[in-house]
Amino acid sequence: MSKYHNFMRRPLSRREMLGICKGGFGALAFTSLFGALPLSCDRPKNIIAGNDLYLGPHYLPKAKNVIFLYMDGGVSQVDSFDPKPRLTKENGEDPRKKFKVDATQFDNVGTILKSPWEFKQYGECGMPVSELFPHIATCVDDIALIRSLTSKFPEHTNANYFLHTGSGIQGRPSMGSWMTYGLGSENKNIPGYVVLDGGLIPPGGLDNFKNGFLPASYQASILKAGAEPVANITPREGIANLQEEKLRFIKKMDNSLMGKMGEVDAVESAISNYELAYKMQSSIPELSEFSKESKATKKLYGMDSDDPHTRGYAAQCLLARRLVERGVRFIELTCPNVGADRWDQHNNLKEGHEANAHAVDQPISGLLKDLKSRGMLEETLVVWTGEFGRTPFAQGTNGRDHNPSAASMWMAGAGIKGGTIFGRTDDYGYRVIENEVTVHDLHATIMHLLGINHELLTFRFGGRDIRLTDVHGHVVKNILA
Amino acid sequence: MELTFFLANGFLDNPPDFLKFLGRFHPLVVHLPIGFLLLAVIAQLATRKIKFHPLRPFLKYLWGLGAISAALAVLFGYLLSLLGDYDANTLFWHKWSGGAVLIFSAACYFISKRRPDTSDISKWALIILATGTMIYTGHLGGNLTHGQTYLLEYAPNPVRSMAGLPPKTEPRPKVTVLDSAEVYLDLISLMMHSKCTSCHNDGKKKGDLVLTSYSNMLRGGENGEVIIPGDIEASELFRRITLPEEHDDFMPSEGKRPLTEQEVAIIEWWIASGAPSEGRVTELDSEKKIIPVVNNYLGLDKNDIFNKEIPPPDISIIDSLRNQGFIINRLMKDNYFLDANFSLSERELIDSDLILLQNLKEQLIWLDLSNSGVKDEHLEKIGQLENLVKLDLNGNDISDNGIQQLEKLTNLESLNLYQTNVSDGLLRVIPKLTRLQRVYLWKTKINDSIALRLQEENKSLKINYNREEPIDQ
Repeated sequence: MSKYHNFMRRPLSRREMLGICKGGFGALAFTSLFGALPLSCDRPKNIIAGNDLYLGPHYLPKAKNVIFLYMDGGVSQVDSFDPKPRLTKENGEDPRKKFKVDATQFDNVGTILKSPWEFKQYGECGMPVSELFPHIATCVDDIALIRSLTSKFPEHTNANYFLHTGSGIQGRPSMGSWMTYGLGSENKNIPGYVVLDGGLIPPGGLDNFKNGFLPASYQASILKAGAEPVANITPREGIANLQEEKLRFIKKMDNSLMGKMGEVDAVESAISNYELAYKMQSSIPELSEFSKESKATKKLYGMDSDDPHTRGYAAQCLLARRLVERGVRFIELTCPNVGADRWDQHNNLKEGHEANAHAVDQPISGLLKDLKSRGMLEETLVVWTGEFGRTPFAQGTNGRDHNPSAASMWMAGAGIKGGTIFGRTDDYGYRVIENEVTVHDLHATIMHLLGINHELLTFRFGGRDIRLTDVHGHVVKNILA
Repeated sequence: MELTFFLANGFLDNPPDFLKFLGRFHPLVVHLPIGFLLLAVIAQLATRKIKFHPLRPFLKYLWGLGAISAALAVLFGYLLSLLGDYDANTLFWHKWSGGAVLIFSAACYFISKRRPDTSDISKWALIILATGTMIYTGHLGGNLTHGQTYLLEYAPNPVRSMAGLPPKTEPRPKVTVLDSAEVYLDLISLMMHSKCTSCHNDGKKKGDLVLTSYSNMLRGGENGEVIIPGDIEASELFRRITLPEEHDDFMPSEGKRPLTEQEVAIIEWWIASGAPSEGRVTELDSEKKIIPVVNNYLGLDKNDIFNKEIPPPDISIIDSLRNQGFIINRLMKDNYFLDANFSLSERELIDSDLILLQNLKEQLIWLDLSNSGVKDEHLEKIGQLENLVKLDLNGNDISDNGIQQLEKLTNLESLNLYQTNVSDGLLRVIPKLTRLQRVYLWKTKINDSIALRLQEENKSLKINYNREEPIDQ
């Protein structure tokens, strides 16, 4: 008996009671209302006529999709997009004699460390880019560079949660969940929010990609590289019919459970997730079938590279384009495991950053060029960022520690004014001194480009209408076309 | 003694901040005597009935409270008056009648204390005086804060004429033709009214600046002129509205809604053209610099589809299109523009789909028919969807003949013909698409010379007709 305890009926909770009753006493007045309300997992179609309960873009969107290229670990800004000649001049000197040095993660402050890479100017805009990214450098005229991103957290896990959910504490919905919730997915056969796992799940784990208090259908689906991107995607049942029968039976059970419990998100989401998973058995293999891609396209992304990590990331970037073609709203790419850790070079900056850059550089530039020539870049927003920057002085002798006070990031594509540089750091690239862009501002800007007013997209939880940007966030207008 | 000391030290001209701080409490404190004194009057009236006789011993406390709070209000009000910023004449009467309220209410207190049980004519006279002066003072106070015309702004015309006011002015009719737009009356004055005059009016006069009329605007404020006709750099008004929002001098201050970019541009042009008090925009702007902005600002740009109000679509059409495999989404909250996407459907496009789409002609501005088996013969119907702003036809077997049917799509800003068979037929149709900004032509039949000619003939058009190769390492 006790074995089946979980399936025993428990007394109705107050909420369930109310939920069931509302059908009774409120039914007359609310029939029309609830007809259009988000049932917790079946997102309301954006309501075509009528303005009550409208869920959809608030104003004409620029972007329909977002590709979020996550540079896990924190790229060093002074070695990539924010050249600082003064570091070369004062290389080896004591930073504490030059400026106030904040406490760092490992408290192992070395001397000022010049960048091991040269910078050159590229494009019509003349944007300086270091030798780390020769391919991305050819796309600068489509890129808006922000040199003034700051984070509130100097440590990976919290900074990751902050960047992904707008809160440093675990548990809030991820930005991808918010955006799919706000706009819905276009494709019935693929989830609206997809994370392409390049090999490294960021510190903080899958909570970076969760739905939090939003309905469970809006969490990210994680696709791995390789032959079977989703676990158990090939049916294990010998006969096709058998699987359908099984699913039908499960649905029947779930529905009867729901009859007893009312509209419970966990059950509703489970039903819709089963349905989606069933459809993904055919949509996912087709998605990762690259045979129709031309040789030139594969070469453009770097799928013929000698470096297996470049090849891997190239496949992910190509997959990202194919997901956009299939109407997937929000796609995040995590970094490949190049063997020298993520971009988190506490030591061996040169080797580590070079290995990471080599893996992502050509695939990213290939993605931008491919999207552009197909006319997809005008409705796809590409975002490239880490969770924070790195210190301009060494950790030990040849590494750099975490630096939440300044980082460089860029965006390209839909609604972005290419060739722009926004924000400024001090002479050492240590702190932002002009036009700070917070993570909240970044979220507000991404949402703005999707046509969402970040102050209006809310979800009631714990008695409060909560938004991704909490009570913060300003759209960074200077980088908009 | 102290008074002379204060006066000698310029106290009245420049009161210390702390007193100004207290002065700003006047609008709060002033409501206390109003409440207490009204309560006292009501209680006084009530006690005429036997039922309420037990209240009598307490009447004096009510009057007392009224008098004390009136004293506070007078004190704070005096401090506030030292700050200036108010219409001097009204302020004068407000001040003296406020003092009278204090005196009369104090008198009421003493009389109710001395003779709580009698009610002779002198007592009632005092009560009436206290109430009357209080109402009068309150009215003047309201005028000072909200402006002389505030109370009767929406009063019926007979009431207005009793108060000696002209009948309500009919609001200036909304401009419907650009040629009739007057520069001051239809543009500048409206902007001032919606963003500035709540603080800069005849009653309130922040910084001694009044922006309700042309002459007052040019007269300027306490620091001199704010508009120097013809000189933007020297015009303080323009400087203040273009500062960064967080700057102390930015106007409108205190987080009120700032002027929009268009409004700023129009004001800039107006000052630069000598800040004329009258004249039509179309005549003043002979170089046509500001006309497009004004056109858009007034919502007159009929050619701009986004200025149109679109009726809601027929839901049954949406449902049947959705059943046919179209994904249909609304594109903004305050209008019914739609986006339709057929590219994810597993079947090819057929004629009946296009007939259904015709019913959404007004709403449809984005249409994605990529890889959908579109043929040349379909393009006639697609070419009738005149509100399209973005059209994606990539990956279809369509050619030069077909695309000529698109020539009526004058709202089109983006056209994707990647992977189609189009060629020099583009040279004929593209010049007709007057709003076209971007065209995608990779993997079509065009060659460099056609692309070059296309670019020559359509200078501002962005043409994408190839793909960059990766650089050699």
